Amino acid sequence: MSADNGKTVKSEESTFLDVRDLTVQYTSMGSVIHAVNGITFQLKKGETLALVGETGAGKTSIAKAILRILPDVSAKSKGTVIFNNTDLMQMKEKEMQKIRGHKISMIFQDPMTALNPTMRVGKQISEVISAHRSISTEEAVAEGKKMLEMVGIPAERYYEFPHQFSGGMKQRVVIAIALACNPELLLADEPTTALDVTIQAQVLELINDLKERLNTSMILITHDLGVVNETCDNVAVIYAGRIIESGSKYDVFKHPGHPYTNGLFGALPNMNLDSDRLSPIAGLLPDPTNLPDGCAFAPRCPYVTDKCRQGTIPAVEVEPGHFCECIRMDEIRKER
Amino acid sequence: MALIEVQHLKKYFDVPNGTLHAVDDVSFVIEKGTTMGVVGESGCGKSTLGTTLIHLQESTGGKILFEGKDVTHLDKKQLHDYREDVQIIFQDPYSSLNPRYNIARTIMEPLEISGRFRSKADVRAEAERIMDLVGIEERLRGSYPHELDGGRRQRVGIGRALALNPKFIVCDEPVSALDVSIQAQVLNLLMDLQDQQQLTYLFVTHDLSVVRHISDNICVMYLGQLVETCSSKELFAKPLHPYTKALLSAIPSTDVDRKMQRVQLKGEITSPINPKPGCRFAARCPYATDACREPQQLREIEPKHFVQCCRIEELG
Repeated sequence: MSADNGKTVKSEESTFLDVRDLTVQYTSMGSVIHAVNGITFQLKKGETLALVGETGAGKTSIAKAILRILPDVSAKSKGTVIFNNTDLMQMKEKEMQKIRGHKISMIFQDPMTALNPTMRVGKQISEVISAHRSISTEEAVAEGKKMLEMVGIPAERYYEFPHQFSGGMKQRVVIAIALACNPELLLADEPTTALDVTIQAQVLELINDLKERLNTSMILITHDLGVVNETCDNVAVIYAGRIIESGSKYDVFKHPGHPYTNGLFGALPNMNLDSDRLSPIAGLLPDPTNLPDGCAFAPRCPYVTDKCRQGTIPAVEVEPGHFCECIRMDEIRKER
Repeated sequence: MALIEVQHLKKYFDVPNGTLHAVDDVSFVIEKGTTMGVVGESGCGKSTLGTTLIHLQESTGGKILFEGKDVTHLDKKQLHDYREDVQIIFQDPYSSLNPRYNIARTIMEPLEISGRFRSKADVRAEAERIMDLVGIEERLRGSYPHELDGGRRQRVGIGRALALNPKFIVCDEPVSALDVSIQAQVLNLLMDLQDQQQLTYLFVTHDLSVVRHISDNICVMYLGQLVETCSSKELFAKPLHPYTKALLSAIPSTDVDRKMQRVQLKGEITSPINPKPGCRFAARCPYATDACREPQQLREIEPKHFVQCCRIEELG
């Protein structure tokens, strides 16, 4: 995995998830919230892609749209999501149910609320297995216990309830549920955000280990650039529902192109440098009910010109495989 | 000069299964105008330490000295005076503001209660000055908390804490609910205010990169006990306690070239209810021996670098 200076070379393998022009809109009190605005990306077998961005950037909406678990009443999604040569967006709900939790599964952000408080934890794992495979109850229980042990929880705790578990253990149960049917694709939505650093280290280690053993592909949603560095091959930076920069982890971390990505790195307190002041990004995310024309980052961007405020901003390839949605990329790079 | 001195502070809670030792025999000194960072995992007692210091709850044992005076036990009048000198900024800017007060009124309330001002106009003028200081735009001053984003709400929380010109502020995870770009704005504001007004902070957080950025000295807590304390620079350059080492190595780094050498901890934080004597970290410590189950002392291993670990010399 660590061929030439950390870059990942996996181009021979075929794309098995192809997301094109994905949009998600919510209606709330008469106004339309543009959460995801035309996202396109591909994922190869065994690859891990990070979706990075601030609260409200649209990261979770992307994952929910792929799995089609957005609320029916208030949300509308468009676009194509080709998974193993079939478009999930066109699939019947009955068919989709066979995919959820089996081929594609999701680790939810908050382990405190993702589990059913009135159901024994083991049962919550076995339930998924029984739903997707025709096996007897005893076999499902045995499988459930095996999964518990795989995530480092003794099998005898199968019959306990969520409130008897600590936060880290609950998150591991959530991971066990997600992995119960050996999914081909794992959507992990901030899997460690609610956890302490030492427990976070354990959970990341577990996810990395399982990914390698089962060759699972993963989309990791996070706002923590450190977590991205530890687990991912490629990165997509999301801002106001668009991918404004994407590429290999090495390229994006080493030579971030987009002013927003640069801003994110500048705003982080650096563990290895003694800097006195942080450089925050001025302003806030734009109102998703009323996005500006042109580049959505323009109102906060220090390099903004009039041209940035018009039309759609095309993606520029700054290095092979490293894309940026910024029309002033060349000039900015020279200035730095 | 020492602004706050804490000696053998204890805070226990009675719970159905026994006694919960939230803060157990903690001692340290905070110099005027400096920031003491308190780090540790959730449930280690760091917030309880902060709230006990400013008398939001009574301590169970030990002593708190503020400017040399014993403030461990205060009557109503003394407490009223003490509260003008010590303030707190809460973790969650969403729930710590009164939703039915607009921003200006939130800032004006402590000013009115203090009785320092003769007229309503004076209170108003002082509130305006504070809101300018913490960067709350004029157009927002009539707004209600739900109309503001997290970063601005936290500015209101900071403004309210600053209203009476306190000497000491407990910052209880003030930026952990904020996004990084906003977090940086609030951290900068706190540091600027400290420079201008010689403020002293106790900065409670679980985020080690934040604590390194803002603190002069750091206390590392584990299950109510203080396991290591020294200057911020020293702690990150040369952590001594096995727990501190594990904690520091668990932080994911954003440096793509550096491969982390990680001390992986087994197990999880144990229960602080009816703890056994000895080092509380022993259950997870890779170096634990029988000697670790004896009561431990915080010792000065290097100048101004205190560690509570009986095997520290052997471990080197």
